Amino acid sequence: MSTGTIAVAVTRIRIALIVVGVLVIGLGGIVLLNDVNPARYLGIVLWFAGALVIHDGLIAPVVLGVHLLLRRAGRRIPVAVILIVQGALVVAALMTALVVPEILKQGIGSANPTILPLDYAGNLLRFYAGLALVTAASIAVVLLRSRTARRADAPGRSGADAA
Amino acid sequence: MTPRDAIAVAGRAMTAYRAALAAPERTARMAVVLGRLLGLAFLVCMGTGLYSHFLQDPLPWMVFPTRPVQLYQWTQGLHITAGIICFPLILGKLHVVYPQLFQTPPVRSFPHFLERASIALFVASSLVQITIGFINTVQWYQLFAFPFRQTHYALSFVVIGSLAVHIGVKLPVILRHWRTQPRKPVAATSGVTGRVHRWMDGSGTTSRRAFLATVGAGSAVVALTTAGQSFAPLQPLNLFAPRDPRVGPQGLPVNRTAEDAEVVQLAQSAGWTLSIVAGARRIVLDREALRELEQRTVDLPIACVEGWSRMATWTGVRLSDLLDLVEAPADARIRAVSLETNSSYGVSEIGPEFARDELTLVALELNGDELDIDHGYPARIISPGRPGVLQTKWLSRLEVIA
Repeated sequence: MSTGTIAVAVTRIRIALIVVGVLVIGLGGIVLLNDVNPARYLGIVLWFAGALVIHDGLIAPVVLGVHLLLRRAGRRIPVAVILIVQGALVVAALMTALVVPEILKQGIGSANPTILPLDYAGNLLRFYAGLALVTAASIAVVLLRSRTARRADAPGRSGADAA
Repeated sequence: MTPRDAIAVAGRAMTAYRAALAAPERTARMAVVLGRLLGLAFLVCMGTGLYSHFLQDPLPWMVFPTRPVQLYQWTQGLHITAGIICFPLILGKLHVVYPQLFQTPPVRSFPHFLERASIALFVASSLVQITIGFINTVQWYQLFAFPFRQTHYALSFVVIGSLAVHIGVKLPVILRHWRTQPRKPVAATSGVTGRVHRWMDGSGTTSRRAFLATVGAGSAVVALTTAGQSFAPLQPLNLFAPRDPRVGPQGLPVNRTAEDAEVVQLAQSAGWTLSIVAGARRIVLDREALRELEQRTVDLPIACVEGWSRMATWTGVRLSDLLDLVEAPADARIRAVSLETNSSYGVSEIGPEFARDELTLVALELNGDELDIDHGYPARIISPGRPGVLQTKWLSRLEVIA
């Protein structure tokens, strides 16, 4: 196939995807109109707007801020360590965002005791502790490795110089 | 300051903020890598979700498989687990493309406006879809003023349609970055962030791998610490799932208790009977009479739409045997009617593939003991490969649909 025919095929696929996509979105709209009471639409619209505002206006800028603070701290700390800490913070934040609603709902109470039966608050603390351990161990491994690498590097370089 | 000046200032501010957001992991290639995974997760959720939807509201021509008996347990466990993995994936994906939010000018042309509007719809519907799905599993309905099931179903089309539009719009970029490009010398991060990074740590070090590792770790952790409610081998890691499948009366969770269903008195009444009706033919059996029919014992999972499931041993009368008593046609649909009248789940329909399956029982016992009242005493339906909500509890009547 020549580049021209590929380009034509790609254009056709794009048009097909967009047309099908718009139709499927329309189908969703029809289902919504048929199955959901119009009095509830405002609630859905508010959730849509809320999702955009909370992510784009709150979560993303906060992530940027934390990232800059960590980098600032990183002037004296190896970049690898910063990256590990950053990753651990992201995982901790993710689990917090998912588990805190469970803890709150558990406090409110549920229809029966088989819903939310675990010790979510305790498990979250244990998870943080485990994550901290894994993070510390990873940092130790990285630091040891870089130290070994530096030590191995030094004679290697002198050897190369000698040759 | 004239409005024109104000717009110019705002435009420069957006450009500056966008530049400040430049980071090594924010590349088109990374957007493609995460986008593929997220798109796959969305398709898995859509497929398993539609399967669950049509099991509950089948179109007239639909016939469903009854084997393997764990089929629904797996598809719905996959639905819930893939749904929760969408959280780290979508947050990662949005992180990568976030600077695109601050394009200047915000709108270049009408097609560009449509593109941006479609992305706003895609992002908003996806975030709402996975969030209400998660909230539904913890049953915190007060958080949203709309019906969960209908909204989740309608939004699934909006999400998948938007995905198709998005792929259509971005196809050239996706194709260009589908495979890794031959490695070019790593360009130092540009813009304000680049300068800030170099000032802070003396390097523009790439953190693409660390970013991917973080998204991967997040996905693994959310999946492994919650999937135990659906997949028994992962039970020891179940720290955060909304259910522990071992917790409940007779070691099984419950969604609707006898008290919620307002059936406690009727279910415990000595005068309880099960009627089996086919047109003018009608048979009425009390518990003793049911006991005297041939008893069968089967192992079938109870699997909830909310994702939790557990295997159990059920004893009772084969539904097919009861239907033969009223000479029901082999291809007849059956309506199972509960004592429960205050909910739409008080009535379920059973297609012939399930009604005539040798494993489908009117169960009287669970794990060797009489059914607990919250599990449907005096009798309930249990059948292979169907959601728990259709396994009608506190059974009172079986009707052969003409």
